[in-house]
Amino acid sequence: MNKDKFRIILIIIVTCLVLGTSLLYFAGIIQKDKINIGSLIAFVIPLIVVLFMVFFIRNRYKDIKEGMPLEDERSRKVTTKAAAMTFYISLYWLLFISFFEKSFAQMAAVEKLDAGQTTGIAIAGMAITFFAAWLYYNKKGKLI
Amino acid sequence: MKTKIKELRARYNLTQEDLAKKVKVRRETIVFLEQGKYIPSLKLAWDVAKALNSKIDELFDLGD
Repeated sequence: MNKDKFRIILIIIVTCLVLGTSLLYFAGIIQKDKINIGSLIAFVIPLIVVLFMVFFIRNRYKDIKEGMPLEDERSRKVTTKAAAMTFYISLYWLLFISFFEKSFAQMAAVEKLDAGQTTGIAIAGMAITFFAAWLYYNKKGKLI
Repeated sequence: MKTKIKELRARYNLTQEDLAKKVKVRRETIVFLEQGKYIPSLKLAWDVAKALNSKIDELFDLGD
């Protein structure tokens, strides 16, 4: 098995794990009857990520079948730039979460956010930022 | 940046996909190269020039 195929299989496994975890989380919410905006957002964001991943996997699998590489110097540069931008924006995002912690707690219908919820909000923000930055640099073309 | 990739590719009857496979990059990279929007590494420039039987300085014009 070549490196690209192995990577695609890894991405499929991670996507399945994200989907499975989200479904389990949602089933738990329904059982405990704790449906609110916060819990719905926590369920919908991973689903959106999974949808994009399915689209990504389908395209990349087609490419591999046609003999195209999974990544090249340009796509690596796009990922590096997007990751660097995500790092800077994440610092502000974490500050934003700490300043508006009460508003986030209200959305989640709890008195105070616990460590897990705070981490979840931070990760969701970072994932969205990375995706947006990746799209921006991928379309931009000029990467210098 | 200006390039003659499209011109030479047409001369050798190669599609963007064919050239991408030859130099082992993704098709989008060839698209951006042809549009002059992506400045390649020396290795990629060398590979593209070789695949099109050309020289780097004939293929790419960075301007002044």
